[in-house]
Amino acid sequence: MTDTAEPYVDAGHAVDQVSLTFVAGSAPPVAESVTYERILNARDEPHNWLTYYGAYDGQRYSPLDQINTENVKRIKPEWAFQCGSAGLQAGATTYAFEAAPIVVDGVMFVTGWDGWAWALDAATGQELWRYKHAIPFDVSLCCGNVNRGMAVAKGKVYYVTQNAHVVALDATTGKCVWDKTYGDVRAGESATVAPLIIKDKVIVGSSGGEFGVRGHLDAFNLETGEHLWRCYTVPKPGEPGSDTWPADGEAWARGGANCWLTGTYDPELNLLYWGTGNPAPDFDGEVRPGDNLFTDSVVAIDPDVGQIRWHYQYNPHDVWDYDSIAEHILFELDGRKVMAHFDKNGYAFILDRTNGELVRVFPFVDRITWGEITPDGKVTAKVYPDKEGEPVHFWPGPAGAKEWTHAAYSQRTGLLYVPVQDVGATATRRRREFKEGIPYWGAGVQVDGDDMAGSVSAFDPATGREVWRWRTDVPMCASVLVTAGDLVFAGEPSGDFNALDARTGEHLWRFQCGSGHHSSPSSYSVGGRQYIAVPSGWGGWVEGFVPGMLGAPHGAALFAFALPE
Amino acid sequence: MATPAAERSDLMSELGLDHQNKGTIGRLLASGKVGQADEGADGVMKATVRIPPDELTWEPAVLVLPHGGRLELELINDDLNTHCALLPSNGDSQFIWLVNHSRGTATLELDGPGYYWYGSPTGNDEGRGLTGAIVVRGDAPPEARLDRPQQPRP
Repeated sequence: MTDTAEPYVDAGHAVDQVSLTFVAGSAPPVAESVTYERILNARDEPHNWLTYYGAYDGQRYSPLDQINTENVKRIKPEWAFQCGSAGLQAGATTYAFEAAPIVVDGVMFVTGWDGWAWALDAATGQELWRYKHAIPFDVSLCCGNVNRGMAVAKGKVYYVTQNAHVVALDATTGKCVWDKTYGDVRAGESATVAPLIIKDKVIVGSSGGEFGVRGHLDAFNLETGEHLWRCYTVPKPGEPGSDTWPADGEAWARGGANCWLTGTYDPELNLLYWGTGNPAPDFDGEVRPGDNLFTDSVVAIDPDVGQIRWHYQYNPHDVWDYDSIAEHILFELDGRKVMAHFDKNGYAFILDRTNGELVRVFPFVDRITWGEITPDGKVTAKVYPDKEGEPVHFWPGPAGAKEWTHAAYSQRTGLLYVPVQDVGATATRRRREFKEGIPYWGAGVQVDGDDMAGSVSAFDPATGREVWRWRTDVPMCASVLVTAGDLVFAGEPSGDFNALDARTGEHLWRFQCGSGHHSSPSSYSVGGRQYIAVPSGWGGWVEGFVPGMLGAPHGAALFAFALPE
Repeated sequence: MATPAAERSDLMSELGLDHQNKGTIGRLLASGKVGQADEGADGVMKATVRIPPDELTWEPAVLVLPHGGRLELELINDDLNTHCALLPSNGDSQFIWLVNHSRGTATLELDGPGYYWYGSPTGNDEGRGLTGAIVVRGDAPPEARLDRPQQPRP
């Protein structure tokens, strides 16, 4: 303490950093009237993108067609939003811009890395408000300082923080309404999922599958944040499915099965379809004999009470890190209610979504060596890390033939469009003791830095036939968007954002965004003008899906494209 | 040859890493003092961080909170140069100018457990050592924890 007699200059009280910007500080109250009923009929308002996948069915299909195959070559960036980083942050080298922009009546709600959430004017890109949750530097993040987006309902927006909170913000001001912790960071839990609004609930899934946690889904009351239910995806001894874990020991307690990607929902069946993640340790199956339910599965959950009604397991006793978290796209096939799921293991599944019955399974990537799945769904493992210290190479690698980034379904063509990764990996089993909060893989893993390929591929779900393929030299690891203009939009690791003809795969347009894509584009319109919005910002678990591009530039920009006026 | 942890502070000092313009250009981050916040009966925590003359460091360099929640922070600039502070807080980072011989305050809301870095984002202060840590101890609330037996830790 100084001993000078001179009084201190009064520095006052610290201010919000936003007060040092020209940010408006508020958004129009567009979210007040967003209800569950509106989200149920999201596609009746094609000018909006009301929920993560565009609608509960997960199709990532926009009914807008102002931009179409005839004129897409004329679209240009209308605006760009950017936000760099300041100071030392968690995941300083692994942050990425992974969100799917939500748009409600001219206001865009989008999240970023490191606890960021913004409301933007969807026509001009002007920042209306911001909220930044302080994320601890030391939070355990397997796959980057990332966040995949918001949910919006009844005057509030909802998102999760990397340190496993779910936060409700006033959608007009960005001020916090409630904040609940739903994961234990000391256990290695975190959160990156875009929440889902179902009735009076906001539903979120946990992350941490690389740390030997026990996966769960949680539901909170929209208005109050009251915790309504938790559904664990690994059973305790004695619970249904527990016979697929060793009777002795604690493998179940560290079983994984995290639900780190947003589910889809059938309101008529009142079922949520949520994919679950890998078991732990990822590659050392010997310490957890059995099928390890409900890892690598789709679980059909009653959202009113959070109970599993049925399941289908894609990778029994997974030893390749083949999370089955990928979305379940709902549509009808010959009058049957089905859903499509492109699994990390390289196979696409069409299931009856009323009961989980397998309708069709077919490969969607060229190289599959880990094993085989027959047309009737029988799984046979062939190549996997088994002996301690012995390297084993297999395709697809642990990021899968499709990573978390999403496929799409066109209501016009009836085709499924998928971003494909064709890259292998070598895993060497290295058994390790479990310690809470320490990564628990059970292997040394190196993904191939070369000998890789990618594509955007179109499949006919009625037959499993690949209708067309747009090839790329590097795996595709960003979500595709399909529109009624018969366009498929897909961003590349190179930074190129492309438009393809949904009927033929013909390449029609490209724009270089300056940083690789690892996000989900969406489409909306304001004042009768259609926009395609896409975050561009490379990062995340690059060493897992495209290590050959570990040196590619980071970025933090969101582009909105439109036809010239 | 790697140095055993027990000898760290002696060797840091010997090599001049805890001083300005001695071992290297700026002092190594978090090489200064460690301090703890006081907690009031209302659960609000209080602490003071100070910039001493010509050290380009926060004192304490590492401020420890017993748990997450509200921190009422007093910031004093006893240095002969102007600095500022950009501090983490849920909602928005908090900024304050600190001219020579000034005193100000900040209210921070932080989660725990976990630690945060903060700095003086002016005149390369951050790189020279004016980057401090706020460490929050504690645990996730019981309702957020996993329903499983207690697990071994490192």
